[in-house]
Amino acid sequence: MTVQAKVQLSEGTGHSGTPTGATAEVGEVALSFDNISMQFPDGTQALENVSLTIQRNEFVSVVGPSGCGKSTLLKIASGLFPQTGGVVKVDRDQLGYTFQDATLLPWRKVQGNVELLMELRGYSAEKRRQIAQEQIKMVGLDGFGDHYPKRLSGGMRMRASLARSLALKPSVFMFDEPFGALDEITRERLNDELVSLFMRNGFTGLFITHSIPEAVYLSSKVLVMSRRPGRILQEFEIPFDYPRDPNLRYTSEFASLCNEINVALRDAIEQ
Amino acid sequence: MTQTSSNQNLVAHPPVPASAPRGTFANLLMLLVPPIILFGVFLFGYAMLRVNLEPHRQFLMPSGYELWSNAFGLPEVRAELFQRSLITISIALTGLCISIPVGILLGVIMFRATILERAMFPNIVAFQSIPTLAIIPLIQTALGFGTLPKVLIVAKFTMFAIPITLLLGLKSVDRGIINLFRLQGASWRTTLVKACFPSAAPALFAGLRIAAGLAVISAIVSELFFLAGRGGLGQMIINSKIDFKYEQMYAALITATFLSVCVYIGFTWLGHRLFSDWHESGGKET
Repeated sequence: MTVQAKVQLSEGTGHSGTPTGATAEVGEVALSFDNISMQFPDGTQALENVSLTIQRNEFVSVVGPSGCGKSTLLKIASGLFPQTGGVVKVDRDQLGYTFQDATLLPWRKVQGNVELLMELRGYSAEKRRQIAQEQIKMVGLDGFGDHYPKRLSGGMRMRASLARSLALKPSVFMFDEPFGALDEITRERLNDELVSLFMRNGFTGLFITHSIPEAVYLSSKVLVMSRRPGRILQEFEIPFDYPRDPNLRYTSEFASLCNEINVALRDAIEQ
Repeated sequence: MTQTSSNQNLVAHPPVPASAPRGTFANLLMLLVPPIILFGVFLFGYAMLRVNLEPHRQFLMPSGYELWSNAFGLPEVRAELFQRSLITISIALTGLCISIPVGILLGVIMFRATILERAMFPNIVAFQSIPTLAIIPLIQTALGFGTLPKVLIVAKFTMFAIPITLLLGLKSVDRGIINLFRLQGASWRTTLVKACFPSAAPALFAGLRIAAGLAVISAIVSELFFLAGRGGLGQMIINSKIDFKYEQMYAALITATFLSVCVYIGFTWLGHRLFSDWHESGGKET
């Protein structure tokens, strides 16, 4: 993999265990897109001049019409697809990535799956085992370490997938609609837990979703993208403090913010 | 439809009581009884056919009694069947020992690059299409009448299914899993060993089962053409025809079928052991 725009941005020592979240120091850039464009080989213009900067320990969500290139943003940032124009700055050695599916290896038990990325990074067997057990406990899968993915529910698979990424202590964590396939109740519980994982681990989050309440509940900032070719149309600061109370979802401030974003999103679709 | 004024037809659907789980013995019975019944029907048809043959042609279809008294019941015939089975099975397994690694290697090479697949796939199909029986005389002239040509014939028969199924399996690996490996900068070899091979293994085993079923058959076919020296069951079939011992021919046929089924069951069992925990084909639904 050629990494053209790779820049070491963080010192890599950032996880001393202090709950950071939204109260982190301002001004340190964790991820930046500078005039990013993406044209696919078939000529489709997926993204056009997207610029955005994410500070360290911010949690940013992106919502937009389906097919607008939201997921492409993550693929560019992670280096899966190199962009065709512009510069992206991110430390790719410290990247966590959660896909739309859990993408667990079906032939490995939960423990083996959580160890996988550490194995690819060359961690020792002892260290892998220990970290994996910690992470399995942290995502609430205690006791399921020796289950095959086939025997887990969709929500549990996603937890295992999160544990797998968290094991590497990512400084930037990207989520590509990870909870889209789950039912509403499971999704809300996982959102609660993601907020507490965010508090505890202190990473920078970039979250793609098509659920406005999910975006508002999780994020410190929500971006609305236009139809293809995708551009960032509007930016909403989310004023609520972390940690977030699950009942926040049922307050009127929350509802009116969701509604504002909803209007912006509808404009984006009709534009 | 009812005669009532409204179109609604309320029907009471009674509950269906939960059935008690079947015990091990009942499960075994369910497994064995249906094939045995079907086999019984087949035997009955055989007997009917035999009864209706003219007496001077009845030797073509020996009865169970004749099979026992002239073949399976005789210790020297049993010893011969056993020895010849060993010869046949060793040819079949040696052939598989060549075709399986070669087939896997071909599958992996084709998976490495599309250009290699384009180059090799048509050639593999063409090689498979060569009628094996038609080139046996050539093989005999080139390689003589020893064990090697027979083993090679088995290898040629059994190789085709292996690279085809393996390649299909390797190409069907979940894209997400490949991306996961790419994001960690994993090498092609690591990805092959840790992601592609395990994922392709069930498909490969389907190919291996086909190959295993063909191995004993092709060993016997090859023996039909090699009558010098002490051979396997194929040679026994030809010899018993020459000696007019049709009961022994049947005995050799039955033994060969049994061997073939054993090899097939062996591979199926191995596949089940390896994959039933995690693969959809494993059957253990939860």
